[in-house]
Amino acid sequence: MNWEIGPIFRAVMRNKVGAVLIALQVAVTMTIIVNAIFIINERKELLARESGIDEANTFYLSSSGFGDNYNAQVTVEEDLANLRQIPGVINATQTNAIPISGGGWSMGLKTEPGVENEGVGVAVYFTDQHGLQTYDVELLAGRNFTDADITWRDPVKGDWPQMTILTQAMAKDLFPDLPYQDVVGKTVFINDDEPIQIIGIIDKLHAPWIGWDGLERVMLVPQHLLFDSYRYLIRTEPGQLDRLMPEIEALLADSNRNRIIRNMNSMTDTRERTYRGHSAMVSMLTIIIVVLTIVTALGIVGLVSFSVNRRRKQIGTRRALGATRFAVMRYFLVENFMITSVGVLLGAAMTVGLNIWLVNSFEMQRIDWYYIPIGMLCLWLIGLLAVYGPARKAASIPPALATRTV
Amino acid sequence: MLTMTNVKKIFRTDLVETHALKDFSLQVNEGEFVAVTGPSGSGKTTFLNIAGLLETFESGQYMLDGNDVSQLSDNARSKIRNQKIGFIFQGFNLLPDLNLFDNVDVPLRYRGWSASERKQRIEHALETVGLASRQKHLPSQLSGGQQQRVAIARALAGEPRFLLADEPTGNLDSKMAHSVMELLQDINQRGTTIVMVTHDPSLAAEAGRNIFVRDGQVSELHEVNTFADVVNG
Repeated sequence: MNWEIGPIFRAVMRNKVGAVLIALQVAVTMTIIVNAIFIINERKELLARESGIDEANTFYLSSSGFGDNYNAQVTVEEDLANLRQIPGVINATQTNAIPISGGGWSMGLKTEPGVENEGVGVAVYFTDQHGLQTYDVELLAGRNFTDADITWRDPVKGDWPQMTILTQAMAKDLFPDLPYQDVVGKTVFINDDEPIQIIGIIDKLHAPWIGWDGLERVMLVPQHLLFDSYRYLIRTEPGQLDRLMPEIEALLADSNRNRIIRNMNSMTDTRERTYRGHSAMVSMLTIIIVVLTIVTALGIVGLVSFSVNRRRKQIGTRRALGATRFAVMRYFLVENFMITSVGVLLGAAMTVGLNIWLVNSFEMQRIDWYYIPIGMLCLWLIGLLAVYGPARKAASIPPALATRTV
Repeated sequence: MLTMTNVKKIFRTDLVETHALKDFSLQVNEGEFVAVTGPSGSGKTTFLNIAGLLETFESGQYMLDGNDVSQLSDNARSKIRNQKIGFIFQGFNLLPDLNLFDNVDVPLRYRGWSASERKQRIEHALETVGLASRQKHLPSQLSGGQQQRVAIARALAGEPRFLLADEPTGNLDSKMAHSVMELLQDINQRGTTIVMVTHDPSLAAEAGRNIFVRDGQVSELHEVNTFADVVNG
């Protein structure tokens, strides 16, 4: 089979403008599309991250006490006792912050005491022995808190208890050379020099801040909060959440008139709200990809259609000289493939260039190498699909056109 | 070589039906140089298109080189055009983006010949028409007569047994027209059958046989010196 590569190349070189414009369009499209797909996949990976808790069946609300008659300790004890015996509630805990909600506490833990030693940042969740079940986390090593371990945290003094449970990721960052089982029993230091013993390791729990690079570094602290404002995290049995949310809100509000219940949210809504920016980015980039693909495809269709209309007599002559319909189609497919190839090669270089700029400017990740050949294949395919219609039209030009003088 | 029997060709639009050829019958023998003449709209070009397998026809029979080519597929017709028929067009029909070498190469590529064989044939064909030294030139860099010579080289390079020329000198001045006619006669003397459509009586007179077409039918004249009389009346 004769592909006519040489004559086609020489003919294209004599009419460069249209070809160059299409090649540039393909290059720009590839650059944007490949980087956009990479960003989309990055964002989708973020969106797919599991926080570690039973999000579908968990919700939370805030309790804010006021007035002289308000007693935080009594209220919390009564509330937790009431919540835990509601049919459909698996467990509940008082806490200071909610995973992936955007707001919370952080501290630094050190393996050696002293200001001069570097600490590892960690998100702090205050909870009690019911925390593990409420969060739906698995204890991998060590033990859970017991009732005797739980103390009340004074908002002024802020004393830290002598024990903590860490996530596996935090244990690894603190003691990178040890298996997590061996981290149980180790002493770490908070506030530079206050010792705190690790009594257990849980599998996974996300911090409140999804953009933090220590997202999986969490410590559970066995304390109830003697604060005026705090949160209850409540885990329900599957299918009970929608029924229980308003019921529990009303129950808590009615049980104590010296506080208000507000900011009730399901974890599903929290995830949706927290990741809304990423979801919007995915949608926006998807639209850009679709629009760019269509524009580029239409550009190719336009150029080839124009070329076919301009060369009708030439195509008729080729047919008269013995070109089959397939040979005419092949001519335009090869011509377009050559132009697209220049575009995708240029696009590959531009894709890497744009990615380097994004990495340097926005601390994005470096693009995986395989995005480039996949992008090239896609653009080649788009080019071939776009040229197929006009090429078929060219193939339908009758050979008798060669003898027509008008 | 070429035998058409009662060939009928009708062009149809939504409003009009034109009978371009009516029971058109003609025989051209191997090695002949036949000039086809006739007034505008008489069916000369339609005959040429059908003879060159550029168009199909409604009824009748067309035997080319002993084979019935009346009902061939589009691909088969392309193959026969490529292998057995050479075309020379009034407007030369050279491809403007290709140099002379590539222009002559166009039909040869469809033959599937090797690059070295094609090169040899192209150089020989261009040499035959006196343009071997200009094979890298573009058609736009040549005069009309030279472009028609390239078109002749393109038609000859595949060594067709049958050459169809559609007003081959129609766009040339008399000097260049005469030169092209000499070339065609030379080609004919070397054994190639030529059918030439023209409405120039002096050119027709240089052919071995004249065919006069009127209203889509043949009126054959063997005596070339009476041709002008027939045209006039």
